Amino acid sequence: MSEAAVKSTDATTEDEGGIYLDQFPAEAKVIRSALYSSFLALALGGLFGIIQTLHRTDIYRFIDSETYYTVLTAHGVFLVITFTIFFLVGVFTWAVTTSLDRPVEDIRFTWLWYGLMSLGTVMAGGAILAGFTDATDISADVLFTFYAPMQAHPLFYAGLVIFVVGTWLAGADWFRSWWNWKQENPGERIPLPTFMVLTTMIMWYIATLGVATAILVFLLPWSLGLIDSVNPTLTRTLFWFFGHPVVYFWLMPAYMMWYVLLPKVSGGKLFSDPLARVVFVLFLLLSTPVGIHHQYLDPGISEGFKFIAMTNTMFLLLPSLLTAFTVVASMEHGARQRGGSGRLAWLKALPWRDPVFAGMALAGIMFAAGGFSGMINAGMNINYLVHNTLWVPGHFHLTVGTAVALTLMAATYWFMPQLTGRDLWNRSVALVQVVLWFVGMTFMTNAMHRAGLLGMPRRTAEPQYEGFEFQAGVGSVAELDAQIAIGGALLAISIVLFLTNVVLTAVAGKRSDLPDNSYADTLSGPEDSPLVLDNLKLWTAIALVLVVFAYSLPLLSIVERGGLFGPDVTAFPQHIQFVASMAVSVVGDSLATIDPVSSLAQFADTTIATLTGVIR
Amino acid sequence: MRISGGALLVAIAFTVPIVVELRTILAWFGVQISVFEGLVLGLALIAALLVYAFWPEADDSPDASSSS
Repeated sequence: MSEAAVKSTDATTEDEGGIYLDQFPAEAKVIRSALYSSFLALALGGLFGIIQTLHRTDIYRFIDSETYYTVLTAHGVFLVITFTIFFLVGVFTWAVTTSLDRPVEDIRFTWLWYGLMSLGTVMAGGAILAGFTDATDISADVLFTFYAPMQAHPLFYAGLVIFVVGTWLAGADWFRSWWNWKQENPGERIPLPTFMVLTTMIMWYIATLGVATAILVFLLPWSLGLIDSVNPTLTRTLFWFFGHPVVYFWLMPAYMMWYVLLPKVSGGKLFSDPLARVVFVLFLLLSTPVGIHHQYLDPGISEGFKFIAMTNTMFLLLPSLLTAFTVVASMEHGARQRGGSGRLAWLKALPWRDPVFAGMALAGIMFAAGGFSGMINAGMNINYLVHNTLWVPGHFHLTVGTAVALTLMAATYWFMPQLTGRDLWNRSVALVQVVLWFVGMTFMTNAMHRAGLLGMPRRTAEPQYEGFEFQAGVGSVAELDAQIAIGGALLAISIVLFLTNVVLTAVAGKRSDLPDNSYADTLSGPEDSPLVLDNLKLWTAIALVLVVFAYSLPLLSIVERGGLFGPDVTAFPQHIQFVASMAVSVVGDSLATIDPVSSLAQFADTTIATLTGVIR
Repeated sequence: MRISGGALLVAIAFTVPIVVELRTILAWFGVQISVFEGLVLGLALIAALLVYAFWPEADDSPDASSSS
């Protein structure tokens, strides 16, 4: 059996069937569309990123501070949802069709889920962008973390639902391909790329139960006025049920590239197929029952549940460390195949001139740094020091902003020729682009981490308060701001270079001999991995049990304490200018003469009455 | 060249985190330097890298030893 399995996988990896466009022309068209959608989101998200950077650092401001939150929401949603997930569905379609060596079962179904994802993006993205104009009442300035009490227009929630349903159908498409392949190839091991796709999608199905419940049962009916209030702690908890595993949904395509492409472009083979399978199984098991680690400072969840979440999170470091070992070992193998030698001198033999390799390798290095700051976030007591400070954006700009985004950009330089039949427009520009991203992110994330340690808050247009100064240990806050702005500018230039290269490759790339579509062979193949690793039913069951253990009691406790629909929490639409004017009108004249005891109750009553009146 | 152009570019990129955090590291040892001094040190680091990269490699071939 194992010989057959090896034969199957090797046949795929060494098959000289031409480029992907020749092998699967119909699928190549869908993947191209998904990637172009992804790049459009990158362009928009990047634009909002530089606006946000310049505003927050007070280097150059041309928007009102209340508009900053629309910019922030657009930056977050377009980059961490649209850019990453559209790329993911493209890469996963490539992975399944290439590794199973079969087209999708029904290309119309494939276009259907792509269409649904696009429709959802237009709806949710449109709701966010509508916040820039007063021509409509539509807005969704709820940040990426769209939980109550902030409320968006129903269009935003409906768009998110349709987008997620699109991803569910995409998963169904890939499971269908695998199932039909399995009927024709009984007893064979699941090829590694398909195994990675399936385990990731099972994780995604479990994780999205939380956000689907939050939106369909609470947030959407609430925004439509069908229910009066929601339980904020409950919606936050359901969000983070999805909000942490979504991180791995972004990360898994990057991991896949590190496992199946990076060893190949290094000139070698993947060190261990079984280890890669173990890593993906561990992500399936461990990524969902950890979301409460985002809520260490939330009231309403007991310390014990938070401690359990912390323990689970620390276990989650294991697959990342295994990945670091496997990928570096694979690169070293590649370097030695290329004539590299010595303890460290082999590093020189790696293909640093190749933007695909250089981009992925630099992304992996930055991910190591992000892993260390992630460990600090994960620890309950240390988290208290950095929670809601700029440290946290520093952390996730290393992980999703670099490990994922840079890997996807580097992989694009391999995928574009495969999908268009045209060679990359300019490899030197591509190399400069990935290096520029690394340098820009170094500046930005370093300063963000340091500013966070000073206690500088995140999610605000005005991080500096009047009458208060942050004291930098070394240098000054102005220097940190300058670093962030320099970093942001370099990143913006890098995105422009990337998009220029992509567009010119698509329209002006030369048609020449391109390498065949294939992925890395393995030093230790599937024949060395225990059969149980391919038992997807078993891993799904264990993952569900762990989720039940981690979440049933906290959720029950939250509902018992605050009620399913909350203790009469009134909707709070995010019209910032309105909130600001209300604050001035209510508080303005009374601050000087306020009596701290009796006036507090009066102030609260007046505010609630006025807010309620205006909202209705 | 001792290393490829691509590797040299990446190596120079790697000096950026060092330059950025050099002042912090030195401050741990009680050495205070200004931004300008940090930049000069960074440029010196890059210059050293360039010298290493472009310095001709020693020719250890038998021909070389016999001719000398």
